[in-house]
Amino acid sequence: MNETQLYLNDVHKSFDGFKAIDGLSLAIARGELRAVVGPNGAGKTTMLDIVTGKTRPDSGRVVWGADTDLTRLDEADCARLGIGRKFQKPTVFETLSVEDNVMLALAGDRGIVAGLRHRRTARQSARIGEVLDIVGLGAERGRLAGALSHGQKQWLEIGMLLAQEPQLLLVDEPAAGMTDHETMRTAELLRTVAGAHSVLVIEHDMDFVRALDCKVTVLNRGSVLAEGSLDHVSANPEVIEVYLGR
Amino acid sequence: MRRLLPLLTLLCLAFGPLPALSQSLEALIRQLPEGSFSDRAEVVAAIAATLDERAVGVLEALGEGDLHQRKADGAILKVTGRGSKARAFDPLTGEELGPVPARSTTAIKVNNALRRAVRSGIATLTLMHRDPTRRLAAANAAFQSADPDQLEALGAALAAEQDASVAEAIAQAQAAALLASDADPALRVEAIETVRARGGRDALAVLTPLRASEVPLIAEAAAAAVAEIERSQAMWARAQNVWFGLSLGSVLLLAAVGLGITFGVMGVINMAHGELIMLGAYTTFVTQELIRGHAPGLFDWSLAIAAPLAFLVAGGIGVAMERGIVRHLYGRPLETLLATWGVSLILQQTVRSVFGPTNREVGNPSWMSGAFQLGEMTVTLNRLTIILFALVVFAGLLVLLRRTPFGLRMRAVTQNRPMAAEMGIRTGWIDAMTFGLGAGVAGLAGVALSQIDNVSPNLGQSYIIDSFLVVVFGGAGNLWGTFAAAFSLGIVNKFLEPVAGAVLAKILVLVFIILFIQKRPRGLFPQRGRAVEA
Amino acid sequence: MVRKGLIDRRTGLFLVVLFAVIVLIPLGNLLLAPGTAGHVPGYLLPLLGKYLCFALLAVSLDLVWGYAGILSLGHGAFFALGGYAMGMHLMREIGDRGVYANPVLPDFMVFLSYEKLPWYWHGFDMFWFACLMVLFVPGLLAFVFGWFAFRSRVTGVYLSIITQALTYALMLAFYRNEMGLGGNNGLTDFRDVLGFSLSDDSTRIALFVLSGLALAFGIILGRFITGSKFGMVLVGVRDAESRTRFLGYRVEHYKLFVFTVSAMLAGLAGALYVPQVGIINPGEFSPANSIEIVIWVALGGRCTLVGAALGALIVAAAKSWLTANFPEAWLFVLGAAFVLVTIFLPRGVIGLLDGLKPGGRHRHALPQAAPEPAE
Repeated sequence: MNETQLYLNDVHKSFDGFKAIDGLSLAIARGELRAVVGPNGAGKTTMLDIVTGKTRPDSGRVVWGADTDLTRLDEADCARLGIGRKFQKPTVFETLSVEDNVMLALAGDRGIVAGLRHRRTARQSARIGEVLDIVGLGAERGRLAGALSHGQKQWLEIGMLLAQEPQLLLVDEPAAGMTDHETMRTAELLRTVAGAHSVLVIEHDMDFVRALDCKVTVLNRGSVLAEGSLDHVSANPEVIEVYLGR
Repeated sequence: MRRLLPLLTLLCLAFGPLPALSQSLEALIRQLPEGSFSDRAEVVAAIAATLDERAVGVLEALGEGDLHQRKADGAILKVTGRGSKARAFDPLTGEELGPVPARSTTAIKVNNALRRAVRSGIATLTLMHRDPTRRLAAANAAFQSADPDQLEALGAALAAEQDASVAEAIAQAQAAALLASDADPALRVEAIETVRARGGRDALAVLTPLRASEVPLIAEAAAAAVAEIERSQAMWARAQNVWFGLSLGSVLLLAAVGLGITFGVMGVINMAHGELIMLGAYTTFVTQELIRGHAPGLFDWSLAIAAPLAFLVAGGIGVAMERGIVRHLYGRPLETLLATWGVSLILQQTVRSVFGPTNREVGNPSWMSGAFQLGEMTVTLNRLTIILFALVVFAGLLVLLRRTPFGLRMRAVTQNRPMAAEMGIRTGWIDAMTFGLGAGVAGLAGVALSQIDNVSPNLGQSYIIDSFLVVVFGGAGNLWGTFAAAFSLGIVNKFLEPVAGAVLAKILVLVFIILFIQKRPRGLFPQRGRAVEA
Repeated sequence: MVRKGLIDRRTGLFLVVLFAVIVLIPLGNLLLAPGTAGHVPGYLLPLLGKYLCFALLAVSLDLVWGYAGILSLGHGAFFALGGYAMGMHLMREIGDRGVYANPVLPDFMVFLSYEKLPWYWHGFDMFWFACLMVLFVPGLLAFVFGWFAFRSRVTGVYLSIITQALTYALMLAFYRNEMGLGGNNGLTDFRDVLGFSLSDDSTRIALFVLSGLALAFGIILGRFITGSKFGMVLVGVRDAESRTRFLGYRVEHYKLFVFTVSAMLAGLAGALYVPQVGIINPGEFSPANSIEIVIWVALGGRCTLVGAALGALIVAAAKSWLTANFPEAWLFVLGAAFVLVTIFLPRGVIGLLDGLKPGGRHRHALPQAAPEPAE
């Protein structure tokens, strides 16, 4: 449980002089659920970009598991290692059916030949059904993903993330566009998933973060400002100053 | 020592054949058949000393062996042709005197020594001509012939010369002649220096053989001088290439800068951009036709009149395109590409139907014709005008975008459309105006291109690919990038051309850009900021 | 199982009609007397065969544009390369029957005083080698070009522009006499193929039938690719490229594969085109030609394969008829087609037909407006 899944050490990244990430260090244990909060421009999304191989840091170490260097890998490599990501804006394949969306996400060979020879097995169909039931889209199985509501797309994307069976889930503002009830269900879902998987959630919604009931990291100006339970960081005057106090 | 030589020759010339000098040209000519060859050489020198223009023809005829003496009266004639076709001319006036009966004349014999004297005499006569341009031409001719026999004449001419530039040319010719002689090596080394200072291809022709001279001192100096001249020639060749490159670059800039706005700033692909350029060129054609028909006196102003018209015509069509078509396709760049391509076909065929498929004649105003010489490179006025025009258009656009309320609104709309709309900016209107501006600039480009390219319905097609590549190469959204890309591609192209040929150079540039875009998809000067990275 | 059928109704209908045509026309010509209805005149056969080649070319473009979202404005280059490979074989087959009667060198080389055959002409005297090159040369170019372009993530209009530059550069190159491929005039004056005279009606029929079979093959291959999970990944790439990446798919490999296959199909189309029209010249590389292919696909309805083929047939037939009867009108019509189809008919003729039937919307169909990139 205490084994480290992801470790960032003194990471820097600037865009034309703007220091998006400035000396960020962070460690996520295997099976841990972690919430990351911070004002706009604190570097939350850039941090996810770096972890998923989309952006290369200027300096610093990003280590996966025991000794895999993530800074040298691209998105597909990182995904294959077991890092799953949900975007801030729900991103699904709009012109494919809901079940095909999940099918593409299912763990398995990502190669071209496999793609051409692929036949869907009964087990895969069952797994798709399972995932869709978890996210409450069992009835929408045959619909085009583009026809779903905003909230449903959020759920579908979370379902795809689950189907991918990653070791680490990076979830960027999942509650955006959801009803209160849905928000609470999402929090519950993420809590269930944690343990078997590591989960890192970025969120603005404080009720949601409270519902997650986990360790919270506050980012500001590209580095960690405070870390601890929500009550602990809420009491930190600096945090109140930059974030909560507004 | 070098300065003494011409003085000495002048003295010889002045006092040696003194008796002959005082006689008239006519009398001297009559003496030509007399005496030994060396006597005749003296007479030739005396003839040259008269500095009479008419003497040139006489001496030339003598050198060719065409000068005859009539047996009957001893008159000197110039005879051309042989046998029954032989005709006589007055050697001084060139007046024809009729056919020459066979064996009625005897040719004045010349040997090599006499020929040398003749050449020297002719050189003296032309070098001493009263017209400085003739003297300069003679000096240059003497430089090229580099004849040691003319040394005396050159020296005399140099001493008498008043005009500084002619004197310089004569001194160079003298140096060249000296180099062909077997004068003192030290003198010749000095002469090499004089010839080197002249530079150019002629100097190279004189000096190159000297590198093989048996005198080590001369061979060395000549080799050094040749290397120096070649360096300078290479430099001028480079300068000329840069000039051609700037010229091509200005054309590319004009063609591309409008796209730099529609594609680079707005992100809209306008495949009809080339046809808007073509319309600008046809507007120029129509304007000139009207001026020719109604106010020929205004012809020199035709381009100045056509430019705003072309801007309005192309800009108007641009606004219409934006409102009618492009507006419906925002956010769908590939569809925009296809629809505007359709517009380009329609515009092309319209022009073809109205003006016919062949090239139309667009004239150069008189102030744009001609050229001047800069060092060893030729600068044509129309190219120069186009470069200046491109720079003015570019600067105008920069000012418009950066320093005017319109530019501010335009940038606001392209950067954050919803917020701009919130602030009360009529985004639709700004879109239309921006697109119209890009199109109008294409029209201006057409005015300039009508001066150097064929004005035909296909004019636009030849520019569209280049224009896009320039914008993409420079980095979309950055007008300075377009500027740098246009000129650097123009110059690279012109430097490749002498090596690879025009077509291959173009292919190489295309391949280079294709590879470059794959290495740096955002061009030379990418748009900055995190938004782009994401 | 649950793999969706290889042939859906629409594709099935198209293939049935296609097979009927390529069986009935030869049959009619065999049984009926020339001049009667049902006997297709010999001069018309190459024209029809040409249309079928264009249809195959359109299918190849739909594969990359419709499904993977790669708008290639240089597909004409692959077509032309396939055509040149076949043309080189046909040139060699002329043998000593050329004007200069040189057994080895084609006429234009004798005319340009070549001493010997350039190295890249060797082997083209063998039909099988030429056929191999028909696929290999366009495939190799697509592979190398795609390797660089997709790896550096050149997408959208940038990719379109450099594909256009590619075909433009090739056009300039092929216009040069130094290329050893006939320069301006290209390759022409072919006599026969595999010993059969190109002017015989029977050879024409055979080529026509082959073109039809090639088109059917292209459509079925396309269906096989796009109907597989691979095809779904392609659609995923088109709709949300980064999502596909974050799911662990190597987007560049997928694109490269489909781009190369598509280029080879285009090369095949070119190879069948050349013996039927009797000439291949650098004009085939012109960027305008390549854009015309795009309107075939757009008009027919992209992302449907048969729609692309249908579009090619419609536009090519319209072009033949208009350029013969109203030459001035052709570019107006083509230009208007570009404008109107993109604005009013984004799903093409097939989409229009689908719209008439309730619930006929095709899976993978294009969204009404392209989704914004997921960033």
